Amino acid sequence: MSRADESSTGSDQHDEPLISLENLEVHFETEQGLFDLFEEPDVVKAVDGVSLDIEENDVLALVGESGCGKTTLGKTTIGLQRPTGGTVTYRGQDIWAAKDGNGEIPFDEIRSSLQIIHQDPGSSLNPNRRILNILAEPIKLTPPAVGASERRERIHALLERVGMNPAADFADRYPHQLSGGEKQRVALARALLMNPDVILADEAISALDVSLRVEMMDLMLDLQSEFDTSFVFVSHDLSNARYFAEHGDGRIGVMYLGNLVEVGPADQLIGDPSHPYTNVLRWATPNLSRQSGEAGEPPMRKIDIPDPVNPPSGCRFHTRCPEAREACREVAPQLQQSGEAAGHRVACFRDDPNHTYWDSDPLTEDDD
Amino acid sequence: MTTDDPIIEINDAAVTYDGGETFVLDHVSMSIERGEILGIVGESGSGKSMFADSMLDAIPDPGRLSGEIRYHRDDGTTVDVLELSDDELREFRWEEVSMVFQGAMSSFNPTMKIGGHFRETLKAHDADVTSGMEFARELLSDLYLDPERVLTSYPHELSGGMQQRALIALSLVLEPEVLVMDEPTAALDLLMQRSILTLLEDLQEKYDLTMVFITHDLPLVAELADRMAVMYAFQLIEVGDREQLIANSGHPYTRALLNATPDIEASLEEMRPIEGQSPAPINVPQGCAFAPRCPLATEECRVEDPVFTQLDDGHAVACHHAEDARDEIALHFDRSEETVPVSGGGGS
Repeated sequence: MSRADESSTGSDQHDEPLISLENLEVHFETEQGLFDLFEEPDVVKAVDGVSLDIEENDVLALVGESGCGKTTLGKTTIGLQRPTGGTVTYRGQDIWAAKDGNGEIPFDEIRSSLQIIHQDPGSSLNPNRRILNILAEPIKLTPPAVGASERRERIHALLERVGMNPAADFADRYPHQLSGGEKQRVALARALLMNPDVILADEAISALDVSLRVEMMDLMLDLQSEFDTSFVFVSHDLSNARYFAEHGDGRIGVMYLGNLVEVGPADQLIGDPSHPYTNVLRWATPNLSRQSGEAGEPPMRKIDIPDPVNPPSGCRFHTRCPEAREACREVAPQLQQSGEAAGHRVACFRDDPNHTYWDSDPLTEDDD
Repeated sequence: MTTDDPIIEINDAAVTYDGGETFVLDHVSMSIERGEILGIVGESGSGKSMFADSMLDAIPDPGRLSGEIRYHRDDGTTVDVLELSDDELREFRWEEVSMVFQGAMSSFNPTMKIGGHFRETLKAHDADVTSGMEFARELLSDLYLDPERVLTSYPHELSGGMQQRALIALSLVLEPEVLVMDEPTAALDLLMQRSILTLLEDLQEKYDLTMVFITHDLPLVAELADRMAVMYAFQLIEVGDREQLIANSGHPYTRALLNATPDIEASLEEMRPIEGQSPAPINVPQGCAFAPRCPLATEECRVEDPVFTQLDDGHAVACHHAEDARDEIALHFDRSEETVPVSGGGGS
C-alpha cells in the first residue's frame, strides 16, 4: 500500500518522479484511402492529454481494449514514441530535448534505462543467432568494455536467474529451439542486461498459455524487487493486471480511446471501481467463483469501440455507457480524486454527487 | 462418455504422423449431445486442435486419422464421416458441421469484400443466393453488425472483433447443425472475447445449434459451456458438467490448471503455476502422462495409464487418485459463498 500512496497525483510530496508524463498527446495521421474524398488526413488521437508519474520501483498496469492507446502510452513513456504534444521527462530531463541534443542526461543513457519486452518474443529475437550472441550484443554496445569470458559469465548467471537451466545449454540454442515461455525469458534477460530503471512489458504474457502466465508474472515481480526496476505492464486482461499490480503493490490505469479514465491502487480499482468502463472490463474478466450465467449481459450499450478518427464528443465512453446522460455528451469529464483512497482518480461525472449530470436526461440507444 | 441424444460420436480417434509410433491424438472417445455447448480445454500442444480437426476428417497432411466418427442427423440417419467421398465431405463440412478458426484475417480473401465471401459460399453449395443473402443479413444483425456496412467492406476495413463475428456469420450461412470453433477469439482483447461469447449463447438458442468451443482459456469457456472436457498430452483426462468440472474437478491437472489461472476475485496467494512442462508426442511418459508433474503420483501412476472412470453422474476422470485430489488439492476460488455481482449492469 505505502508506495501506491506515495506515488499519487501530487509530485509536490516528494523529490522527482522517475518518469513524468505531462499532458501527453500522441496523434497519428492515418493513411489516405484510395477513395478518400477528404483533403485533410484523418487524425487518430492515440493518446490525448494524459498526465502520470512513475516512481522508482513502481508498478503500473495499463488496461483497456485494442485501440485504446495503452501500448502507445507505454511506448511514449519509455521514449520509443515521440509525443506530438506535452512532455515526457526522465529524472527531470525532457527526453526529447535530450534527443535533440539539449539535455544534461545523454539520450543514449535514457534509452538504455528504459527497456521493452514485446508480446511476440519470437519476432524480437534474431532467428539466425544463438541466445549467447543475442544477449552479448547489448553488453558489447554498452561501455565499459568487458572480455568475452566475463560476458559469458554474466549471460549464464542471468539466464539461470530467469529460470533457464542449464544456462550453458540454453545459451547455445537458437530462438526457434525455445518454447514461447523460454523466448519470453530471454527477452526479459536481455532487457535486464541494461540494468534498466523501467521495463515496459507490452502484452508480454498474452501469447502464453494461461497456465504459464502466473509463472512469468512471478518471475518479473521477483526481478522487479531484486533489480529495483519499475514496470509498466500493458494488458487487455484485467485479471493479469490485477495479479501483477496487486502483487507489486502498484496501480492500475484504465485507458479508453486515448484518455486515462481511471487510475488507482490495484485493490481499490478492482474492488470498488468508480468508472462505468472499468466496470465493463471487470465484467469481461474471468471469475471462476461466478456461477454459469451469473455474469449476465455486458454492462454497456454497444459492443464495438467507436472509430478513433471521430471519437464521440464529451465523455468518449458516452456512446456505450449504460449510465450516460445528456451532460456526458456535451462536456468531457476531467480526471479527479475519487473517494478517500490516495491516488485513486476517475474521469466521470457520477463521482461528483453535486454535478449537473444528475439533473440531465439519460441517453438511450438512439441518441449517441 | 455417452449421452442421451448424441449428434457426434467419436470412437477411439487417433492421429499419427509417423505411421503409428507416436500419437498427437491418442485414442480419444467422446460423445457430443445434440444442442449442447461443449468446451474443450487444453494447453498448446495438448492435441485439442487435432480433436477438432478429426471431427471433420480435416487432419492436415501427412497425418493419419483412425477410429470412427459418426454423425447422427436429425432424421435418424447416421453418417460415417471417415467414409465420405471428397465431395460429400465438402458438403458435410459446411452444411452439417461448420468450423471457425482463430484469426479471421487468414480465413478471408483480402481482395474480396465480405459480401463476396457469402455469395461464393452460397453458390459453391448450390444454395439460393437471394434468400441466402437475406439470411446472411439476419446473422450479421444477430452478431451486432451493420449488415450493409459489413457486406460492402473489405476484410481489412473491419476491426478484428468485427471480422471474427463476420466469419462466424459466414460459417452459419448454410445452416449447419454443429459449429466447431478452434480458439475463435484468441487474437482479440478480453472484452471482445466475452462479448462474442454472449452472442454465441444467443445464437445457440435462436438456431438450436450444437457448439464445440476449443480453447486454452479455461475460465473463458467456463462462462459459456454446458459441459467441459480437459485434454492433457493428447488424451482426454476429465469430462463433466460445467459446474462439476469447475467446482468439483477430480483430476489433479484440472485442479492445478484452475489454480494457475489469474482470476478477478480469487486470493492472489493461492494462484500458482503448474510445475514442469507438458510432454512432447515422442516422450509421453509411460503410465499416466501427468504423473511426473503430479503431487499425488504413486508407483501405480507411473506404470499404469488410468482409464476413464465415472466419478459422479455425467462426470468422468482418468486418474487413480481422483477422490484424494478433491481433498488434497484445494482450489483458489470459493464456490460456497455468495459472490458479489458486478454492479450497475446493462439493461437498467
